[in-house]
Amino acid sequence: MTAPPDPPDGPGPYDPGLAAAQEALVRAMTAGGPMPAGFDAAAVRAAAHGILLKRAGEVERAWPGLAASYGTGWRGAFSEWARERPTRGSFRDGWDFARAHRDGLAPAAARELALAEVRWSYDGTGAPRPRRAAVRRVPGGLAVQVLGRVREVATAGARRAMV
Amino acid sequence: MNPPELGVGIGWRPEIAGFVAALPGLRFTEVIAESVHPAHPAPALLELRGRGAAVVPHGVRLSLGGAEPVAAERVAHLAACAEALGAPLVSEHVAFVRAGGIEAGHLLPVPRTRAALDALTANIRRTQDGLPVPLAVEPIAALFDWPDAEYEEGDFLTELVERTGAFLLLDVANVYANARNRGADPAALLDRLPLDRVAYCHVAGGAEAGGRYHDTHTAPVPREVLELIGELCARHRPPGFLLERDGRYPPAAELTAELDAIAAAAGLAAVT
Repeated sequence: MTAPPDPPDGPGPYDPGLAAAQEALVRAMTAGGPMPAGFDAAAVRAAAHGILLKRAGEVERAWPGLAASYGTGWRGAFSEWARERPTRGSFRDGWDFARAHRDGLAPAAARELALAEVRWSYDGTGAPRPRRAAVRRVPGGLAVQVLGRVREVATAGARRAMV
Repeated sequence: MNPPELGVGIGWRPEIAGFVAALPGLRFTEVIAESVHPAHPAPALLELRGRGAAVVPHGVRLSLGGAEPVAAERVAHLAACAEALGAPLVSEHVAFVRAGGIEAGHLLPVPRTRAALDALTANIRRTQDGLPVPLAVEPIAALFDWPDAEYEEGDFLTELVERTGAFLLLDVANVYANARNRGADPAALLDRLPLDRVAYCHVAGGAEAGGRYHDTHTAPVPREVLELIGELCARHRPPGFLLERDGRYPPAAELTAELDAIAAAAGLAAVT
């Protein structure tokens, strides 16, 4: 059995109605969109919650200091923040979460964020790009990165020397 | 063409690389394709390959079930993984993972409709055209179904395999999870599938939460899944069974016992 041939000007084997239905489902599950008609809403919400927990675990692997600083509350804290934010990959998800909570980060999480920011340039919208060189304050000192090599320097003058 | 004999294997993950490398009889492993740098595969994987183990790249981000053409660069990556690892086949999912430019974050089910079958058929053919080795596709575990299905699950998968010539990667734990959540008999699906087209099987554990069974890959394989392996092999024994574990890694002795239990249930040689 073979699929019908593609019409010359049509969508070929890709049905626009299917595309719209898939997008509506993904929006409902990840971006706060309305639940599409006909689905078992409780089951879809359970699946969406399962995805959030999986994402929290993936971010935990990419940002262990950040996740550990939340202790047993990590999965709940991340899930709540990410509930209507579709994933952009675990590295960026963790980075976005850390920036959104920058003022309340524990020292280990603040250090992890500073070490990421000293290595990578990230504007929050595009993919992070490696920096050639940078200096960032970390708790108790400075992180200095030149051509991919990072050194941390303890200094009482960290606040004054911050770039 | 018949799929190659694989035996009992375990999914390679960096966290358990030492355990996997130390399995004396291992001839079969699988690696998440998106984690592989084809120009620099993990030395541990190349070492397994050098010992004669089959290393199967397993993609999770291709979105074969999406209502848009699969991305050429993702197909090229899967092909490069197969070349770099000398793989006998590669595998992906009967699922979509993004739509309208939004990532779902996980594998989502497709509706069992003619439109979805057409999209899957087109995407599997595009993928096969770009691969140097056969493709096996895996039906997923899903907590919900789409409304207005036009096919039974077995008929949908059978027609997909007939249209594309793809092999099936049959996840026994997914069959169990879906049947349990639907209140159906898992063995009934086995009677509806073309079991001679199964290239290998996945086996994993999950957990009950909120009245639903979640296929988490972070728990021991339940007894019911081992029994379903027996039911499957009584009908037709697939060439391989692969244990998937993706977190909360237990002590080595527990993984060893799980691999031995899978081998016993399938009537295959132990690899431990």
